[in-house]
Order: sequence, then C-alpha cells, then structure tokens
Amino acid sequence: MQILTANELLSGASVYFGDDRHWHQDIQRARIFSETEASELDGLIAAAVATKRLISVAAEKVRIDKGRVVAQRLRERIRAEGPTSPRHAVQPLRESDHVSL
Amino acid sequence: MYRYDEFDLGFVSGRVDQFRDQVRRRIAGELTEEQFRPLRLMNGLYLQLHAYMLRVCVPYGTMNAPQLRKLAHIARKYDRGYGHFTTRQNIQFNWPRLQDVPDILEELSEVEMHAIQTSGNCIRNVTTDQFAGAAADEIIDPRPVAEIIRQWSSLHPEFTFLPRKFKIAITGAPEDRAAVRFHDIGLMAQEDEAGEVGWSVYVGGGMGRTPMIGQRIRNFVPHEDLLAYLESVLRVYNRYGRRDNKYKARIKILVHEEGLATIREQVDSEFEKVRGGILTLPEEELSRIRAYFAPPQFVLSDDRFNLADLKRNDAGFARFVEYNSHPHRQAGYTSLTISLKPIGGVPGDATAEQMEVVADLAERFSFNELRVSHEQNLVLPHVAIRDVRAVYDVLKEYALAEANVGLITDMITCPGLDYCALANARSIPIAQDLARRFGTPERQAEIGPLKINISGCINACGHHHVGHIGVLGVEKKGTELYQLTLGGDASESAAIGDILGPGIVAEAVPDAVERLVQTYLGLRETKDETFIAAVKRVGAVPFREAYLAT
Repeated sequence: MQILTANELLSGASVYFGDDRHWHQDIQRARIFSETEASELDGLIAAAVATKRLISVAAEKVRIDKGRVVAQRLRERIRAEGPTSPRHAVQPLRESDHVSL
Repeated sequence: MYRYDEFDLGFVSGRVDQFRDQVRRRIAGELTEEQFRPLRLMNGLYLQLHAYMLRVCVPYGTMNAPQLRKLAHIARKYDRGYGHFTTRQNIQFNWPRLQDVPDILEELSEVEMHAIQTSGNCIRNVTTDQFAGAAADEIIDPRPVAEIIRQWSSLHPEFTFLPRKFKIAITGAPEDRAAVRFHDIGLMAQEDEAGEVGWSVYVGGGMGRTPMIGQRIRNFVPHEDLLAYLESVLRVYNRYGRRDNKYKARIKILVHEEGLATIREQVDSEFEKVRGGILTLPEEELSRIRAYFAPPQFVLSDDRFNLADLKRNDAGFARFVEYNSHPHRQAGYTSLTISLKPIGGVPGDATAEQMEVVADLAERFSFNELRVSHEQNLVLPHVAIRDVRAVYDVLKEYALAEANVGLITDMITCPGLDYCALANARSIPIAQDLARRFGTPERQAEIGPLKINISGCINACGHHHVGHIGVLGVEKKGTELYQLTLGGDASESAAIGDILGPGIVAEAVPDAVERLVQTYLGLRETKDETFIAAVKRVGAVPFREAYLAT
C-alpha cells in the first residue's frame, strides 16, 4: 500500500493526495494506492510536478493500523505529525496554499 | 566589529532584490523547482522535513546587539518565536514561508546580515574561536583575517561552483577552540623565529562519512601572502577535486588519495605563480580592517573572582563563574558563555525573548559585542568582573544561566530527524535524555569536562566524530539505533573517536553512557584527570568492555 505525498510550494508543508483529488495536511485523508495502481500513481506524480506548486512529490509505503494510516518509515511518521521533542504542530496551510489536481 | 562599506551594502541589497524576483517567478510558475532550487540554496533556503529552513550567516560568529535583536524580530514575525544556533556559528529558522523570505532577507540587510553562501558548493562562513579578541591566551585576534577571507571568498568568481562545499576555520590562540583540524582548511596563528605572527595551514580535515584530521601543509604563511596561499589551495582543489562522486568530492579525499606531498607540490607551484601579485595583502589594508576590531575602552581594574568565597556564599553563582567564564586578556574582565543547553531543552535553541535579553545584556555589559560558538552557545566576550553578578541575575530570570559549559550536558547536537530531511534518527531526544540523567550540578561537577556530541546521520553535523563520547544515529529496518564512539577530540590534540560496538536503541543510550562514565570515574588517577585524558592514557578497552556489558 502506498500514498502520494509532497511539500506544498508556498508553505513547504507536508501534504497528502486525497480521494477528492485535493492535497490535504492530514495523512488520514490520503488516498491508498494498491500495488496494481502503480501506473496511475506515476501519472499523478507527473501531474503534481506539472502544477509547479508541489515539491518532493513521492510515493510512500504505509500500513493500516487499527483503521489508521501509518507510514512505514519513522521519517514519514515524523513528517506527518511534526517534530517530537518538544512536540511542534506541522506547518499549517493557508487558504492560498491549497492545491488540487 | 566590521561595518559594511558602500560596496557591501549595494551587494547585499542587490541580492535581496534579485531573490525577490526569483521567488516571484517561482510562485508565478515561470520557474520550475529544478530551476529554482539552486537559486534558493544560494540564498540559504533549504526545504526540510516540515517546511523551508533559512540559514542566516553570522560571519565568524560575531554579532552586535541590534543584529541579535533583528534575529529575535524575525523569529517572532516570520517564524515560531525561536531560532537554532548551529555548529557553523550560524542561525537557522525552521518555519519560514517562501513568500516571506525576501522580506526576511531585506530585514537582515538592514543590520548588515544575509544568508549568502550558507549553502552550495562554495566557500562557506569562516568560523573562528568564540573568544577571539578577548582570550587571555591569544597570540593574535583572528577576526581581521577572517573578515579579509570573508571578503575574498564572497562571490569569488572562480570558486562559486567547487566540487563540494568548502569550510575554513581560523584560530589565533594555541588552544584550538575552533576545531581547525576538522575543516577543509584550518589556520592556526604561529610565530616565526623573528617573532612575526603568521599562519600555520592545515588542509584536508573534515567529518562526515569519511572523517579525517587535517594535515599541516605549510608551517608559516605571512599575512601578506595568506590570500595568495588560500587561492592556490582552492585552485588545486577546484582543478583536481573529484566531481564524479559527491561522496568523494571534498578536499580531504583528494589529499588522502593523492598524498599530502603531491598536494603540497601542486599548491606550491600555484603559489609561486600568484605570490606577490594582486592578492598580496598590503599592511595598510590589514590595518584598516584591524581598526574595526580595535579593543573596546576597558576600564582599568584589578577585580578578580574569589571562587572559594563564592562557593561558600552562593553555590549557584559560583558554579556559573567556574564553568561559564573564560579568562580575558584584560585584567578585571571575563568572557561569559551563555549556555543554550538547559537541562531537557533543545541544544542550540533560543527564543525571541531570550535573544532580546542577551542583546540587551551585550549592550549594557559587553560593549555591544556578542559571539556564537561552534558549540552552539552564545558569548558575551567582554564583561567586567564586577558586572558578572548582574548579568547572571538577568540570565537566571530567563532560563539562560545553566552552569554547564564544557560539562557533560553541554552537548553539540544536530536537529536530527525531528527537522532534517537527511537524518536517519533523532538527536534532540537523545540529548534531552542524557541531560536529564546527568543534569544535577553535583553529578556534572563530579564528572568534570566531558564533551558528548550527537549526530542524526553520517553527515556528522553534530560533530559526533570528535565527541569524547560520540553518538551517531542510524536507521535499521525502521528502528532508530545509536552507535557510540569514544575518544574523539576537536582540540589541538585532534582525534577521531573509535566505534565502541553495535548500535543500541534510544532507551539504552543513557545507561550505556552511564557505564562509560562510571568506568572513567573508577580509573581516573586524580580528580583532575579529565575523561578524555583518562581515555588517552588507558585506551578504549575498559570502556569497550563496559559498553558491551548489559
């Protein structure tokens, strides 16, 4: 299982591609791609880069744990939740930062 | 300190305008990220894990109060109310938004600051001894030469696209407080037989994935020839440095692969061509720059600390004096280190309010001078001994009076996986756990001088290779593991730490360090034998056995 993630241009915030084709800050709203959807994922990565509003666009492996989306890599879990010690909130998106495909 | 001339002002403000237009074009979609990335990096703007990070240059770690106040203002207005001081004597802001960065750079330019050459394959900020111009043991104040190197290296047309980044450190004292032997070029003040002061040049030092100790390439270079010599080294590196592999592109690899004798021959050959030419530094120019760094108007005094008295009457203040003050060349004065390592805090972080308080103290008590140390602390370089108590009282009120400089909780720590896109493991929580374990004043005093350095990846921004105890974060099958090293030393007795054994989980690090500390306490010959001295005397074996014991 994979999700599609990026950093938004204006804020640098971590964002996740959702079922509604919008990019969200909450990883729980990320669309889950199965192994058979690899070619669609590639197409979406290219489309995201083409917007010029998204940076570091990449697919990331996840698992579902008690109904919640959890990134496999610790790096991605910290990226989704913010610095740990002390805990800081993630970079917020402003209205003008929202991007859709 | 140095003040910008018309050229500097025009150059920095021109860069702000240029970058403002580049940001505009990027947001308008006229530039792709691929096109924009090198432009933003040239202005110190990285993209990290959660947001952009702006690295602002503090030239050779020297600042004045208005500059620190401006950094506080930027932290508050454009960021989250704090900044992070780094081992490069710079400051990083972790949360700026792209469209605010040109405004931030414009505000910085108002106080003669910028972010140019804080990234990229160019000559980075020259670093130096945080007590430069103040230390009692200093042969010469290195700041004028550091400033001359800054001017020479800023936008040097030949060295803007080197094989890799290039770092120069300089110290004017025999005690190396600038880790000069772990830089691409290290300069140490040296007196020749006639008593003339010049520079001993080391080359090929560095940390990262291939740590190496710099080797002396030339015993003595007079001031007037220094730029010509540096240019010669850079030319050889620029010509022969390995551009085919970024992991082998630093000058340390070139020196290692070719051998010092070959590199020396090539540099000498180049030096003969450029020596006596346009890069010769006239004495009058050196004097002009030196005038900016003239000593302040000290008040004559024979005040001294009476530590025994202080210990009887005020143990907390006595500890502050004992650990955080450094001998000054002027009688009646001291240099005070303001520790940014509160127990359980984030090493190197300062809030906007704390920055403003320190700026006020610099104005009131340190002739408007401030320093950033490569050990991620701030320094008030010239404080009258009679004023130290007043300074301490203010620092205490703002949680800045931790008396731990040079002790086990004064850890160098990189941002690690909490912020850094390159990291494999977190560094900050390790430092916090260790500080909590060893943080009582009595425990720290019992252990004495001990440097723990922590890096979240092999790039070694936390200088773990030169920690007396080094901690390197690695990642294995999704778990953070920490590899401990022993015996590193950034001083003039430079050494790279040896790996003690397999990596351990985060929770096991405090106990492992505890066993190393207990081993030291058990085998030291006297209370005056420091941890690193004991390690050098007995070797790693007893420590390795203690590390491996569970």
